[in-house]
Amino acid sequence: MYNHFKTEILKIRSYKTFWIIHILYFAIILLVISGVKLLLNFLAEQGEKIENIDPGAIPVFQFPDIWHNLTWIAGIFRIVPAIFIIISITNEISYNTLRQNIIDGLSRKDFLRSKLSLILFISVLSTLYLFILGLVMGLINTGHIETKYIFLYIPFLAGHFLEIFIYLLIALFTGLWISRAGLAMILLLLYSYVIEPIVTFRIDSALISGFFPIKAINNLIRFPFTKYALREVQDHLTWQDTGIAVFYAFLFIWLTYLILRRRDL
Amino acid sequence: MKNIISTDQLTKRYRNITAVNHLDLEIPEHSVFGILGPNGSGKTTTLGMILDVINPTSGTYSWFGNRNKKENRKRIGSILESPAFYPYLSAVSNLKIVARIKNRPYNNIDEVLSLVGLSGRKNDKYKTYSLGMKQRLAIASALLCDPSVLVLDEPTNGLDPQGIAEIRDIIKKLADEKKTVILASHLLDEVQKVCTHFGVLNHGELIYKGNVEEVSRDEHLVEVSTDDNNALLKILNDFPEQLGVKEENGKFNVMLKPSVSVSDFSRYLYEQGIFPTHLLTKRKNLEQQFLEILNQPENV
Repeated sequence: MYNHFKTEILKIRSYKTFWIIHILYFAIILLVISGVKLLLNFLAEQGEKIENIDPGAIPVFQFPDIWHNLTWIAGIFRIVPAIFIIISITNEISYNTLRQNIIDGLSRKDFLRSKLSLILFISVLSTLYLFILGLVMGLINTGHIETKYIFLYIPFLAGHFLEIFIYLLIALFTGLWISRAGLAMILLLLYSYVIEPIVTFRIDSALISGFFPIKAINNLIRFPFTKYALREVQDHLTWQDTGIAVFYAFLFIWLTYLILRRRDL
Repeated sequence: MKNIISTDQLTKRYRNITAVNHLDLEIPEHSVFGILGPNGSGKTTTLGMILDVINPTSGTYSWFGNRNKKENRKRIGSILESPAFYPYLSAVSNLKIVARIKNRPYNNIDEVLSLVGLSGRKNDKYKTYSLGMKQRLAIASALLCDPSVLVLDEPTNGLDPQGIAEIRDIIKKLADEKKTVILASHLLDEVQKVCTHFGVLNHGELIYKGNVEEVSRDEHLVEVSTDDNNALLKILNDFPEQLGVKEENGKFNVMLKPSVSVSDFSRYLYEQGIFPTHLLTKRKNLEQQFLEILNQPENV
């Protein structure tokens, strides 16, 4: 696997698109997080209230809430690295390099392994970034730091890792299946932001809708902010959510392999 | 002689057409084997199957007498159809990827690049290359890991005459080094110049397999003309030892039976009172052989 990963690094190291997309991804997260922080400060100065609470007193970016809030906000932008994965796999098809890699001596499984290593790398990078960002923001914003609270909600980082990893797997599958970058991106956007949300919205059983792939990864990190209006929020990863998500990880790896194995390149 | 590859009833069917039909192909070690055939005869499909990028409908193949596909491909240098590289990477980076896939060190990248004359541009991005340079990089990539077999599909596509001559020299050098080269081409002249063996595919079937030297040995072709071509034509048609007469640009191409020598033919003309103004002995070439094979009624 490590050897395949090094091949993949050679492919992306001097690929401008890789750098642009990922710098954009990390920059957007930073910007939005700081934006939310500035907005809350601004509202507090103006004496505005959100549902009768002083915005300055909401501990959005304080330990331990920060891990939940940060990972939820970052999840909005998972489409950015997903677009890179689609570009990466459709490039391999349109440049005929997928075929050439096989001719040169990779098996189809090896090729899948090398793309999985790339996805793993990006997911780890994103998780690491949020860890550092969360730590820094938490240390700045938390007034009185109690060590036992710093890492209380840290499992959400694992949730973020799973969320990105699986979403990128879905992107890989879509890109390989559709073969064309533009079409694959449209399909992925349409499915994850229109089709599945409508379908799951119409299903009134949360149990059943939880079995749809996008809903399954969304369920890992539930919407956190309602807790500041004193509503109950699931503030931990459940075994059931994690189990369904992991099932989808395996399913999409298997489906991707199936396409790779059957297709004439 | 050992076979470097043998296929057993290899078949590829697409919806309505059979691209390759129960092909039994054996290619001996240390040969330069030319695969000939008109467009759409199944050359690339066959190569695609033995390189594992096209799934056969049925049948099997084995390289080096074993079935370890992945490891075998690492010992083969190959280009299939057009060169395939990452356009945003330099020649060197592209070759590093190939070396990595084949589990080989980077140390002969410079050597193969200079062999194909790309040293001066080795750090430029692939997308800035001309078609000929892309083709050269593909050859360099095929040679990169000192393969024991080369599979080249139309290797001279897009090359200028000088480039074609260089590729020919490279192939000859490989043959001297006792490597096996499998060359698919529709340039018959190329095949005749470099190949030791050849096979002809048509409609996905191997319709002929032979030795390139033998093609030019069997029968001779004589080109002849005189002042009175009408009389000449009559006399040529009466000549019992000929296999065919064709007029071309005011000259006649006469195919002679293998048993007849050119001097026999010359004596016959003299006896008939014909004194040719032009008499040229031609070696029969692969092109004629190829067209003959394709035109035989059972192959049409």
